Amino acid sequence: MVRKIGITTTVPVEVVFAAGCVPVDLNNVFITGQNPGKMVEAAEMAGYPRNLCGWIKGIYGTVLETPEIREVIAVTQGDCSNTHALMETLVLKEIRIIPFAFPYDRDRDLLKLSIEKLMGYFQVDWPAVMETKDRLDRVRALVHEIDRHTYETNLVSGQENHLYQVSCSDFNGDPEAFAREAEDFLAGLSRREAFREQVRLGYIGVPPIVPDLYRYLEDIGARVVYNEVQRQFSMPFQTGDLVEQYRLYTYPYPVFDRILDIKQEIERRRIQGIIHYTQSFCFRQIEDIIFREKLNVPMLFLEVDRPGGLDARSRMRIDAFVEMLR
Amino acid sequence: MALVAGMDLGSRWVKLALMEDGNLIETRKYDTIEFYRRFGRKAGERLVIDFAALGLPSLDRVVSTGYGRLTIQVEGAVNIPEIRAHLLGANFQTGLTDYTLLDLGGQDSKVILVRNGKMADFITNDRCAASSGRYVENMAAVLGVSLAEMGRHTHDPVELSSTCAVFGESELVGRIIEGHPIASLAAGVNYTIFRRVLPMLLKLYSPILVFTGGVAYNKAIGEILARELEVEVVIPPHPQFNGAIGCCLAEAAQ
Repeated sequence: MVRKIGITTTVPVEVVFAAGCVPVDLNNVFITGQNPGKMVEAAEMAGYPRNLCGWIKGIYGTVLETPEIREVIAVTQGDCSNTHALMETLVLKEIRIIPFAFPYDRDRDLLKLSIEKLMGYFQVDWPAVMETKDRLDRVRALVHEIDRHTYETNLVSGQENHLYQVSCSDFNGDPEAFAREAEDFLAGLSRREAFREQVRLGYIGVPPIVPDLYRYLEDIGARVVYNEVQRQFSMPFQTGDLVEQYRLYTYPYPVFDRILDIKQEIERRRIQGIIHYTQSFCFRQIEDIIFREKLNVPMLFLEVDRPGGLDARSRMRIDAFVEMLR
Repeated sequence: MALVAGMDLGSRWVKLALMEDGNLIETRKYDTIEFYRRFGRKAGERLVIDFAALGLPSLDRVVSTGYGRLTIQVEGAVNIPEIRAHLLGANFQTGLTDYTLLDLGGQDSKVILVRNGKMADFITNDRCAASSGRYVENMAAVLGVSLAEMGRHTHDPVELSSTCAVFGESELVGRIIEGHPIASLAAGVNYTIFRRVLPMLLKLYSPILVFTGGVAYNKAIGEILARELEVEVVIPPHPQFNGAIGCCLAEAAQ
């Protein structure tokens, strides 16, 4: 049987594929599952606090429900400290934890060491990893095309943009099948009509726990043409160097580097307003202060706790924001 | 002659305003729960309101707001976003064009920055009702005083945290037991409202603050805002009906 390796966020997945293993982004399994709410409840039943990130609880519940996952790569630096307790409670359930750290200061040597330790665990060498990078980069290029069609030709919806990019953390476990899906999608675009939304929005922050957000925005005449972190998952960088690729990747590093990237995309995609999304109880809510000061564009702070549909109050706030930009 | 009804579907009260050719002729309010029980009926995704039972004259137009455009759609009514309704209402009621609007309702707080009569920015409270009318009502009930009495006290406030409406209640009980006079306890509650909205008001500051929503009937909060922020606080004639009035005006503005 193929070894399935759970991941808690984007990691150098080249290493996992090179070893012939299948990475499984636990966030994606959680949120696209039959009943994500039940996963959160399972974690709460086990004793996770109510006032804690829904993604962390969802991942915990998902691992318990997925017996074929016995190993999990947990990002101990560059994501969030809740992950530490998540890994430790998973250890109690006899899950093998493989820690991975993105060095806060983007130190090249430390990052290289981190990647090499991961390679050591999976017993793969650099040639195999680099060969896998080429293989994955071909798939990523297709997703970059989908992204381009989101803001340049306006043929792709915010949700489609979100889904294809967010799937680049694990390529749904099968890069070639995912590539075929992306190719078919791209081929189908020629038959579409371009969106003619009144308001072009950017979405920054972790992916939403309420995916119907995109549809809702389109229903009221706005469209997300930029998904910041999801786009980062697709590694939109031109570099043949794997360590450099994960240095350019902004999400795990200081917020100021993310801001440079966001500013550039606001300009390129002619974005009128930004939705800054965070989970309830997340430390990233503090970063809103910095975004507000550094990004000179109207911004809506959106906070959601649990999976499910958008609640009435959030919709009211979104309505007002879109109305303001119209 | 055009008779327009504006309806603001709030969490605590449903407010109704009737306007004829730009003149306000009547305002009414109904307890939200009772309103839906007596006059509302769900038909698919829409809310059907029994206008005949409300005893309204024949209307040319109904405009509603509140609770997300796609959440409630009143049959036969045009729905507009809340923030827009409040902006239109405040422009009309005050005749001002540059100000900050603070609306404190049953469970929401809104701050809107208005420049040249248009919305320049807005903030609403996070998912917590600790700065809302429902909070003031609960606290008045704990103290056993009327809302009018609650609105008389601004001096010598007891210290209360402004974190949470539910914890606030047990905290207030703790202060009562310590023997503080009602005046200080009420002032303490009024000050929590002020502290809670202060960060929002500082972000969207103007020298003129228009204060609306049911909480604006609490005189003490208006006084605290004026004193602490050193701004001119303008409370329009019908603070609670501001959104409903704005709805009536949406037609002309569209």
